[in-house]
Amino acid sequence: MELILNTVFSAAFVAAIIRTTTPILFASLGGLLSDLVGSLNVALEGMMLISCLTAVLVSAYAPWYVGVAAGMVAGGALGAVMALFHLRFKADVILVGFAINIIAAGGTVTALNLATGDKGTSIGRVLSAAIPELDLSFLDPIPVVGPVVTQMFSGHSYLTWLGAFMVFAIWYFLYRMPGGLRFRAVGEYPPAAEAAGISPNKLRTYGLIASGMLAGLGGAQLAMFNFVGFTRDMTNGRGFIALGAVLLGRRHPVGTAIAAVLFGAFEALSIALPGILPQIPGEVIHMIPFVVTVVALMLSSKRKLTA
Amino acid sequence: MTQGKLILSETGRMIFAAVIALAVALVIILLSSKTPLETFQTFLTGPLSSKRTVGTWIDDASKLALAGLAFSLVFQARQFALGVQGQVYIGGLLASTIALSPLGLSWISIPLGAIAAMLGGALLGFIPGYAKAKLNANEIVSSLMLNYIAYDFTAMMLRLYLASPKSGLTASDPFPPTAVYPAFIARTRMDLGLVLALVTVVVVWFLLYRTAWGLKLRLTGHNARFAAYSGIRSNFIMVSAMTVSGAIGGLLGALFVQGTGFAKLAAGFEAGLSFEGILIAIVARNRPLAIPFVALGYGYLRQGAALMGYRTDVPAEVIGIVQGIVILLVASSFTLPGRALLNRIMGGRSAAEAS
Amino acid sequence: MTLILEARGIDKTYPGGVHANQNIDLSVTAGTVHAVVGENGAGKSTLMKILFGVEQPNAGEILLDGKPIVLHSPRAAIAAGIGMVFQHFSLVPSFTVAENVVLGVEPRSGLKLDRKRAAETVQALAERFRLPVDVESPVERLPVGQQQRVEILKALYREARVLILDEPTAVLAPQEVVELFAAIRSLTEQGRTILFIAHKLPEVLEISDRISVMRAGKMVGEVAASEATEKSLARMMVGRDVALKVERAHKGPHEHFCRIAGLTVKNDRGLDAIKDMDLVLRTGEIVGIAAVEGNGQSELFDALGGLRPIEGGSVELGGIDVTDLSVEEKRDAGLAHIPEDRIATGSAGGATIAENIVATELGDTRFVRRGLLDGKAIRDHAVELIAKFSVRAPGPDAAIGTLSGGNMQKVVVARELSAKPRMLLVSHPTRGVDLGATEFIWQRLAEARDGGASILLTSADLSELLALADRMIVLYRGRIVAAFANTADLTPEVLGSYMLGFAAQGHEELKAALA
Repeated sequence: MELILNTVFSAAFVAAIIRTTTPILFASLGGLLSDLVGSLNVALEGMMLISCLTAVLVSAYAPWYVGVAAGMVAGGALGAVMALFHLRFKADVILVGFAINIIAAGGTVTALNLATGDKGTSIGRVLSAAIPELDLSFLDPIPVVGPVVTQMFSGHSYLTWLGAFMVFAIWYFLYRMPGGLRFRAVGEYPPAAEAAGISPNKLRTYGLIASGMLAGLGGAQLAMFNFVGFTRDMTNGRGFIALGAVLLGRRHPVGTAIAAVLFGAFEALSIALPGILPQIPGEVIHMIPFVVTVVALMLSSKRKLTA
Repeated sequence: MTQGKLILSETGRMIFAAVIALAVALVIILLSSKTPLETFQTFLTGPLSSKRTVGTWIDDASKLALAGLAFSLVFQARQFALGVQGQVYIGGLLASTIALSPLGLSWISIPLGAIAAMLGGALLGFIPGYAKAKLNANEIVSSLMLNYIAYDFTAMMLRLYLASPKSGLTASDPFPPTAVYPAFIARTRMDLGLVLALVTVVVVWFLLYRTAWGLKLRLTGHNARFAAYSGIRSNFIMVSAMTVSGAIGGLLGALFVQGTGFAKLAAGFEAGLSFEGILIAIVARNRPLAIPFVALGYGYLRQGAALMGYRTDVPAEVIGIVQGIVILLVASSFTLPGRALLNRIMGGRSAAEAS
Repeated sequence: MTLILEARGIDKTYPGGVHANQNIDLSVTAGTVHAVVGENGAGKSTLMKILFGVEQPNAGEILLDGKPIVLHSPRAAIAAGIGMVFQHFSLVPSFTVAENVVLGVEPRSGLKLDRKRAAETVQALAERFRLPVDVESPVERLPVGQQQRVEILKALYREARVLILDEPTAVLAPQEVVELFAAIRSLTEQGRTILFIAHKLPEVLEISDRISVMRAGKMVGEVAASEATEKSLARMMVGRDVALKVERAHKGPHEHFCRIAGLTVKNDRGLDAIKDMDLVLRTGEIVGIAAVEGNGQSELFDALGGLRPIEGGSVELGGIDVTDLSVEEKRDAGLAHIPEDRIATGSAGGATIAENIVATELGDTRFVRRGLLDGKAIRDHAVELIAKFSVRAPGPDAAIGTLSGGNMQKVVVARELSAKPRMLLVSHPTRGVDLGATEFIWQRLAEARDGGASILLTSADLSELLALADRMIVLYRGRIVAAFANTADLTPEVLGSYMLGFAAQGHEELKAALA
């Protein structure tokens, strides 16, 4: 027990949380934007997965930031496809989302095959680039806190800092900018927006595209930093966990970010545990983030129940 | 619109969607295969190439039909519970436990395995339903999380208690022959599972369209507020629909492990088939009696893709793309090309019918 | 006098085949109030939707300032200076008045929304047009009359020169109507033009300069308000003299049947919608509830019908305490409910008529035995009710969602009355229903009353309440503030002063009237 506590309250563990949280945070913010304008985006998982592969493949031929951008564009494109089928062809958004997930699961393997010419299901480090770490070790000399701060916050992906900034940027957009006012109006009562000359479907399209782009950034972070390379189904439910974070975060960017950190923390724990308590079966450890998500969802929803 | 016309137009949409999806598959094959024509031929005719492949096709179709039935029940109640995969794993685990116990040496392990699997699946279906009714927890997320949990749990039980060292701890010993579904045609997978699937089709149809429970379920799905206003306990209906759906998912697990195809518990045995039940349910418009036909049609494509994966240089996963496109197209409400013109011609008449 | 807005030869047929507008001409003079009257289903709303760009006409043209204009969307209409206030407001509940008004045309400072300027602009607008409202208050906290002002301000903020008001008085108490009319006069004095849709003739005569009358999709005439009378307009509207009248309940001994004691109900935001209400209903009487929308009547009906929890107090039907019973058990105790929204609450649009009718009777052994449905009995029952209530429907297997509003409402009324209820909750029974169906539904309600049912009725239409009710109570902010026997000297104005909270009966007076 003591060993666990020592681990959990160590600076290294905070650093691990930041690392595991980043992909989930992007996906959760993406989920938030689409949820706010009225469509629960169950395709976050598939969007991330396709972005993972896109980012890896592109970064094999281009600098890392082009790979990241490609992952983001791939996610955004999937958001546009969702918007097309959901808003234009009136297909149920949950079914459209699942179709995207299914296409992603099969399509990434097929595309990998197309790109590499064999039937492998992963590409390793050799081929793809990684997102560089942002070195903050110049903070080290600060007395007392310097080393701890460095250990916690130095060496993270550039995207981690972008993610933290996005929480603020999305909050500012939603609550301080005219566009955010319109976004929230569409989410709360679409006829009002429509009567004010705003097209709800246009904003929903933007929401889904932005949602895809953010999920795409999450995918890029996952495949170009957390792991370097692509493996089939490497997102492993992170998109669905992000969906849980959206529901838990009460439709607010800060709430969503807190929920994402919570889930990231348990993922970090599941990575750290085997080293501390080897007697726990790996499957149990692997379950932890999912169990936490479902339990958190049940506990948090209870208060909202009225009738 | 009359029933006959409705079936015709629905069938037309389905064929249209399938043709588009196949065209996309063809393009992918053309791009990735060195021998595209042979590959495409394997994809389209492979399932009929031998008695064994036909058997596998029919067996796949039975399983797809069960998955489709499980989804259609919850979809008819307008619940998006997506937990069939987890139910299949728990069902398979429980059926395996029976089959590998001393009970496995008697035929009784077949009904007992099915019952245990259904109970386990029902419990797993019940949890997200109860959580939604009592705690207002979103059933999509909770059922998806349970899929991962059930998968991990099954993998752990397999590794720790049931696995055989010979398999490198990824599968159990083969079940005794008494615990395996009898096959109709030797050396094929056509076994008792087909009968169970067909019986389930009839049972689900009967439940939905001939019982008060089914009517309540459908009314709840149409308009939950109306159901509550009418005196239907829609929470009970919702939870029971998810539970019954879970039992079907569990039964599918028993079909997997006790069927001639596996006759053992293997890691990751359902290989994603459960989620393909979504496609079956959507294309069949959640109508139980349409489900076997959709399952046969889609099962054929699926089997063709699997054979293509074995025999050619294109991976079987292409079927995922086909599947996704079919769902997108069938779920969309666009009309078939030429329909607008047809409507204009028929316009006068249908207006007269309406008044 | 210059014409500002003209419609020439407007024709509109809906895809379903309804010919809603037939060769309509309309000319509106700038700076006047022009009313368009007609009964429900006459095509007024369709015409207004065409003038606001919501619907596209099949033929005809629209002229603004004498020049032809194509209004392909509301956005085009707004840009051309036409604004519209619908009966159902389109306001974002959690947003402030200012936010709602500026939404879509927000003042900015840099990237930011300029909240200060928004509030000042809206405040100035409100003062200029005599539409007082607290610009910083979230609209969900405002009464309906003020929400309507916000809607008008929205149009004025977008510089509407022509303002279309769709049945603006339907949701208002008589005194609020007076304030609305003051604002309308201030608008026309400042050069704005009002198109006023209504079917309450006294109001139309009071506020309008000219009146156009529509009937069954056609324009049947236009008159100056000064030359028209209520009777002449009514004859033009329906093509005959109207005499919608229902016999009152027979005098005689009526027993107490429904006892509501200390009832408290919360609204969706957790605030008290009904506070400590006491009310007794006798057999064979109709009690009308008059209230401005949002004063607790919806929550009261939902709670009595079992769709909303009862927080405190008790409800008894014929001596049985039904407070905590399920909807099914309440229905078994003799309760039936004609809800205010037949689409959202009263029916399952995708299910068949027969399924909709049997939905409330699934415990009845005529239709369900051992959990199995008796398909034939269910269909036969539906066929019988369809005939008895002369519902125009292809048959019992048609989806109820394909029926017109009036026919759908008849199915709902048929279902609820077929259970021979002893207590009937009725909310807005004829909203959006044509005159023929209205008359029919009124008669059926009167029959149910004569059969001994206790009926609790609410309607936004005071004339409907006055026509049907034996007793009237007035709800204001969740409390009963007045109770009357419905005699000839009870007028909308008397009710109105209580509905707005200007007056309340004393405790003793109330107690005597409620006994």
